[in-house]
Amino acid sequence: MTMDRRQFLKTSAVGLSAAAWWLQAPTLARAEGGAELIQLSERPLNYESVRATFTTRLTPLDRFYLRNHFDVPEVDVKAWRLAVHGLVEKPLSLSLADLHRMPQVKVEAVLQCAGNGRSLFTPRIPGVQWRFGAMGSAEWTGVRLGDVLALARPKGEAAHLEYRGADKPAMSTTPAFIRGIPMAKAMHPDTLIALQQGGKPLTRNRGQPARLVVPGWVGDDWMRYLTDIEVRADEPKAFFYQTAYRFPVKPGAPGEAIPADQMGPMTKVNVKSILGSLSDGQVLAAGNHELRGVAFSGEAGIAGVELSFDGGATWAAAQLEGPSTPYGFRVFRYPWKAEPGRYRVACRATDTDGATQPEVPVWNPSGYLYNAWDRVDVEVRS
Amino acid sequence: MISTLLLVALVWGAEPQAAVAQADKPAATPAEKPALSPADRAALVEGKIPDDPERSLFQARCLICHTGDYVTQQRLTEGQWQKSVEKMKRWGAPLTDDEVKVLAAWFGRTWNADLPERRSPRRPAPAGSTPAR
Repeated sequence: MTMDRRQFLKTSAVGLSAAAWWLQAPTLARAEGGAELIQLSERPLNYESVRATFTTRLTPLDRFYLRNHFDVPEVDVKAWRLAVHGLVEKPLSLSLADLHRMPQVKVEAVLQCAGNGRSLFTPRIPGVQWRFGAMGSAEWTGVRLGDVLALARPKGEAAHLEYRGADKPAMSTTPAFIRGIPMAKAMHPDTLIALQQGGKPLTRNRGQPARLVVPGWVGDDWMRYLTDIEVRADEPKAFFYQTAYRFPVKPGAPGEAIPADQMGPMTKVNVKSILGSLSDGQVLAAGNHELRGVAFSGEAGIAGVELSFDGGATWAAAQLEGPSTPYGFRVFRYPWKAEPGRYRVACRATDTDGATQPEVPVWNPSGYLYNAWDRVDVEVRS
Repeated sequence: MISTLLLVALVWGAEPQAAVAQADKPAATPAEKPALSPADRAALVEGKIPDDPERSLFQARCLICHTGDYVTQQRLTEGQWQKSVEKMKRWGAPLTDDEVKVLAAWFGRTWNADLPERRSPRRPAPAGSTPAR
C-alpha cells in the first residue's frame, strides 16, 4: 500500500490524537494495566496516588505521586555539577561520580507535598487540588548533605542554606523555585542528597540525578534536580521561601486572610493517617474484613491509630505492624466484623510526641498540612 | 494489537460526535447561556475545555506555561479566579486587565464549587517523557 504525504500526515495525526485521547481516557487506561495515578495537571507534571496505594510500608515507585512547579528539566547527567558556595572556605563543584565515591547512606522516609489535602479544605483554596495522594514512603539512598557541606567547610557565621534545582519557569518573570533549610537540619545525619529512590537511580520525573531528602519535613524542602547550594547567614529571600510555603503562627477562622507577618516557614510534617483498604462508596459484604492503612508524623514515631464507625463518638485501637520508624509509614490493621448498614469509617493517629489528628483541619490560606481525621463512607450489605 | 485497533476505532468514533455536539451549540452570551446538557457537563467534569468564546483567549495566553488542566482541576469563586489570574499576569502571562476580567469571569462561571470533581485515575505519561504542551 502506498501513502502520499497528506495521507500519512492525516493518519499520523489521527494516531497521535487517538494516543493522546487514550492516555486521558480513564476506563481504557485502566484496561491497559499498570499503575495509575490521578492526574491533576499534565504540565507541570502533577499526579497523585490513589487511596488504595496506602496499605504498605513502602510505596511502589510507579504508584508514587509526581509533583512539579515547572517543566521537568532535561538534565545532562554526565555534565551535571552540584555547586556548593557562599559562606564556605572551599567552594565545590561536584560531579555525580564525586558523589558516588562518597559513603552511601539509606534512609526510609515519607515525602509529602505541603499541599496534600488542599482540596479537602472549606472554603476551597486555589492551587493544585491534592486530596490525599500527594505522599509516599520510600527508601532513599545517597550521600549525607552534612558530609558534602563538611568538604566545603562552612564558615562560623553559616546558619542557613539556600538551594535550587535545574527546573526553570517558562517565563523569566515567574519566580524561580528556591528553598532552603537551617544548618542544623542540613547537618543532621539523616538529611541526604539522594541519588536513588527505592534502590533505583532517580528517574527524569523524580529529580534526576540528585535530590534532597529532608526526613520529616515538608516536601518543598526536598529539592529535585538539585544543582546549587549556597551557605548563608540568613534565610533565602526568594518568593517560594518568604511568601509561599508559609503557615500561620496562630490559626485563623476558615477563609480568613492572615497578615504576612503572622506567617512562618513550614518545617515538620504533622501527624496523619489514611485508610487504604476502603474507598468512598464501596459496598462490602457483611462479615470479617481486615482494614489497613498507614500513619506517619514528621520526626516522631506513631504511638497509636484508632478507628471509629459512629462518627467519632467511640474509637477502637488498631494494631500497628512492624517496628516504629521515625520518618516512614507505619502500617495499621483492624479486624472489622461488619454488620449491615451505612458507615462513615474514620481513623486518627497519635504520634510519640502526643500529637493527635484533629477532627477539623487547621485553616490556612494556602491549604497546607491538612491532617484532619480520614473518613470513608461505605455500605455493608447482608 | 487487536485491542489497540479497537481502541483507536472507539476513539475515532467518539471524536466526531463530540465535535458535532460542540458545533450545534448556539452562540450565547453569559447571561442567556442555557444550562449545560448532562453530556456536556460530564465532559466538563472530565476536564474538557468547552468551546466558549473565551476558549481561544485562554489557549493563547495561559497555555504558554501550563496545560489547561491546571485550571480545570480547580473549583473556585470568580473572586478567587480574579486573584489567581492577576497573579499569573504578574508572573508574566501576556494579559491586559480586561482580559484578566474576561478569563476570571469565564473560569468562575465554568469551574466553580458547583461542578463535581474528576477523580478517576489515569495512567501518567511514561517516566522521562516530555510533558504534553
